[in-house]
This record gives sequence, C-alpha cells and structure tokens, in this order.
Amino acid sequence: MRKSHILLALILGIGTACFAIPMFPACPLNALMNWGLVATTLVILAIIAFFFEFEAAAVGSKEIALVAMLGAVSAVLRVPFAAIPGVQPCTYLIICTGYVFGPVAGFMVGAITALVSNFFLGQGPWTPYQMLAWGLVGVTATYLRRFNMNTKWLVIFGIAWGYVFGWIMNIFFWASFVYPLTLRTFIVAQLSSVWFDSFHAVGNAIFLGVFGTRTISILERFKKRFNWELLPGPDA
Amino acid sequence: MLAFRYRDKGTVIHKLNPFCKLLWVVSVLVFALIFDHPVYLLLLFLSTMPVIIAATVRNEWLSVMKLTLYLCIAIVIINMMLSYHGSHVLLEAPFRIPVMGTPTVTLEAMVFGLAMSLRLLAIISAFAVLTFTIHPDDLMLSMIKMKLPYKSVLVTSLSTRFIPTLVDDLECISDVQRSRGLELDKGKLPQRIKSRMSIMIPLLCNALDRAVQVSEAMESLAFGSGTKRTFYKEIRMSRVDVVTLTLGFFTIGFGIFMCLSGFGDYQYYPTLEVISMGGLEWSVLSLLICLLLSVVMLAFVKRSSDLD
Repeated sequence: MRKSHILLALILGIGTACFAIPMFPACPLNALMNWGLVATTLVILAIIAFFFEFEAAAVGSKEIALVAMLGAVSAVLRVPFAAIPGVQPCTYLIICTGYVFGPVAGFMVGAITALVSNFFLGQGPWTPYQMLAWGLVGVTATYLRRFNMNTKWLVIFGIAWGYVFGWIMNIFFWASFVYPLTLRTFIVAQLSSVWFDSFHAVGNAIFLGVFGTRTISILERFKKRFNWELLPGPDA
Repeated sequence: MLAFRYRDKGTVIHKLNPFCKLLWVVSVLVFALIFDHPVYLLLLFLSTMPVIIAATVRNEWLSVMKLTLYLCIAIVIINMMLSYHGSHVLLEAPFRIPVMGTPTVTLEAMVFGLAMSLRLLAIISAFAVLTFTIHPDDLMLSMIKMKLPYKSVLVTSLSTRFIPTLVDDLECISDVQRSRGLELDKGKLPQRIKSRMSIMIPLLCNALDRAVQVSEAMESLAFGSGTKRTFYKEIRMSRVDVVTLTLGFFTIGFGIFMCLSGFGDYQYYPTLEVISMGGLEWSVLSLLICLLLSVVMLAFVKRSSDLD
C-alpha cells in the first residue's frame, strides 16, 4: 500500500512538472525538450500501464471476447454518425460499458474503439490521445455506480465528458503545433474547439438521456447471462 | 468508412517486413517532431512520397491529404490569432482585450503556422503508409513479437477482424428497418439520433451474442491452457530485412545526433531567421534523407533476392 502511494505521487509529480515547465520560458529544460514528443510518450506509457492491468484482470476467453466485441461495436457506431460533425456515439456506449463492467473493461473498450476505428478512419499521432481519452471515459463511468442509476446523472456525466474529451485532444494540438506554450495560448487553444465539443456534449446528452438506461439494462442482463461460477456441491 | 483500409496490392512496400515499415514510420514521426527548420520539414514530407508511389496508394493518400489540409488551415489560423509575438506586424486590431493584449497578426506567426502544417503533413503521410500497406493482422503479430501485452493485442486483433462483419450487420439491419418504414435522414438532430438508435440497439444485441460464440470457440481451442501459442503465419526475417532494420536504427540515431549537434534548429520568434544553410548542412541533410529513402531501395533489393 505504502509503495503504491509513493509511486502514485511520483507519477503525479512528473505529470505536473511536464505540464508546468513549458509555461516558464526561463527554465533551461525548455531548450532541450520537445514537449509534443514528451506528452505523446507519457500518454503511450499510461496506455501501456492500463494494458498490463487488463492482462492481470482478464482471466479467460469470456472477458477477452466481450471487450473485443464491445470495442468493435463502438468503433462501427462511428460510421452512421460520421455525417454529423462532432457527434460521437461511441462515448455513450463506452460510458455504459464502464458503468456495467467496471474500470478495466471500460478502459479497454475505450482504447480499442480509438485504435480499431482509426485503422479505417486513418491512424495518426492523435490515436494515443483518443485511446487515453476514451479509456478514461470508461474508467470514470464506474464511479457513477456510487449514485443511484438515473438518467439525470448519466446526462450530466455525458455533457461533462463531451468537453473534457475535447480538452484532452487539444493538449496534443497545443503541445505540438502552437508557440509559445503559455497559459494564455493554452486557454485559447482549448476554447478553439468549443463548437465541436458542444456538439459532442449535446450528442452524449441525447444518447444517454434517451437510450442510456435501456442500453445499461441490456448490458446488465447480458452480464448475468454470461457470468457463471461453480459453487461447491453438497458432496464436495 | 471502409475506403481507408488496407488492400493487398502486392507491391514491394506491401511485401516488406512490417518491422521495417514500423521503424520507418517511427523515424519520420521522431524527425518531424525534433526538427524545427522549415526546409528539413519540407524535405521530410517530400521523402515520404517515393514510398507512397512505390506502394501505389496515391489515390488513398490524396484523399487523406485533402482531409489533412483542413487541419493545416486550422493550425495556420490559430497560430496567427494566438501568438502576438514577432516583429513583422501585418495587421493590428484597434482595440485591446483586457488579459490578452492587443490582437495582432504577424508574419512570424504565419510562417510558424505554415511550418507546423508541413510537420503535420509529413507525419500523416508516414502514417498513411502504415494504414494502407500493413495488414492489421501483421501489425498485431509484430506487436506480440515485440513483447507487448498479449491479451490486449489479441483483443485488438479480434476487434479489427469483426469490424467488417459488424458493418455487414449494420447494413442488413438498416435495410430491414428501412423496409419497415424508418426514415433515417429526416428531422432535426434529436430525431435523427433517435431513428439511428433503432439500428444501434439490434446491432449491440447481435454483437453480444457473437461474443458468446467467440468465447466458446476460444474455449474449444483450449485458450489459456498455459502452453505456448503457435501462429499459422510467421513473420520471417530475411537477410535484407535485417540490413533494413539495422539501417533504420542507424538512421534514427543519426537524426538524433544531428539534432543534438545543432542541425535543424530555427528561430521563428521574435524575428524570422534568414534561411542560410552551409554546404556541410546540406550534405548532412541529404545523407539523412537518403538514409530514410533506403527503405524503398532495399525493398526492391529484397524482391529481386526473393525471386532468385
């Protein structure tokens, strides 16, 4: 327990430092480092850490098949909505998955969605950021379990993630293509995507408001049907 | 959607070892991020073209580039609006925004935006090679060989394999729903989302049933029994592949060494630096580009050695 706390503090420290240092132009590290590259490396390391977590959590074929199929569905769902800008139905499905199947499955479905759909929509340096952002959608959706499941919380959650998702994606844009890296350019770069993020948020709200509880009940039913365990028999 | 996918065209680039292609993509990505000089970025972008041409994916590449151009325009505009640094003022607003200062458009910001667009174009062009010339299964296999977490890679490859199946399902379900009178493209946004939902729920239920089947199939093949897995398809390393890989690693090392010894540096702010490159710099840069292009030449060498 102790060890993991120290590790957590260390990771948080490194993350904060990487975020804060570029904002102080006087720091000598700025000349040496390429912050776009640093950010991408950190994101990839975070994803790999989650993958190792899944390695330990997924014991059998059931979990693997389930995560793979849900990832495929959510990747395919990007197709019928490609014509409407900003609306991402996969966010809604990832939220439902995270809610029903827990943080590890939620992260994997989110990450797989981004990786797999980009095989068809085009891979690029944005892929790791999308993987992390959607993965975190799945992880955080688990915390909705603490509230009583009702549409109001789902909708609020969806709207919030519509914007946070855009902010995570903008970090990539800001660190790689904008100069100078100051708080001011950071804020303006974040504001520049508000239009698309609002579409995303509205889409999430509609999906979750109208179909959230229905999808969750489908997944819950499937979870009951799919999971079984051996109980000790009377003569065991 | 399925327009941007891998198709086996059987060219030398398609037949090249996936490790070599991955290394090439990574090296273009790294160089595009570490070099700031516009000439370097332009040459880097141009150096991806021979690979595109050799792989005969020009049309796919063009459609990707068309989409990228929109992003480039966004980069130039945002940089012009954001950075008020730079000494050559093109436009100045007659008002002041409290925290931000007086909005100005400078030549430096514009040039910086253009150079960053070149950086993006180079990266995306390299990634197009990855998308169009590496079969997803080969990519997964090379990920497993690189000791990435096995189950995660398996999940990804399973999921990729089921995408075309699910797209078929999707088309089938929407035909069914349309024949029952569902109008997909009618009404405002909430209405349109609702009508698409009557396609999505059956798709989800279908897919969950498929998950049971996949899991049963995996169990029947003794998944997780603990013995070492074998593969139907193996990635073979020929002698030419080893040479290509070695050269690839050398190229990355050489590029990083160049960057550390001060090549490819360029000051955009406060005043644009004059582009003056000495004979030494030109020759080192052309050596780097030749090293990057060696992957194409070795691909041709590989084919002739395969034919022998």
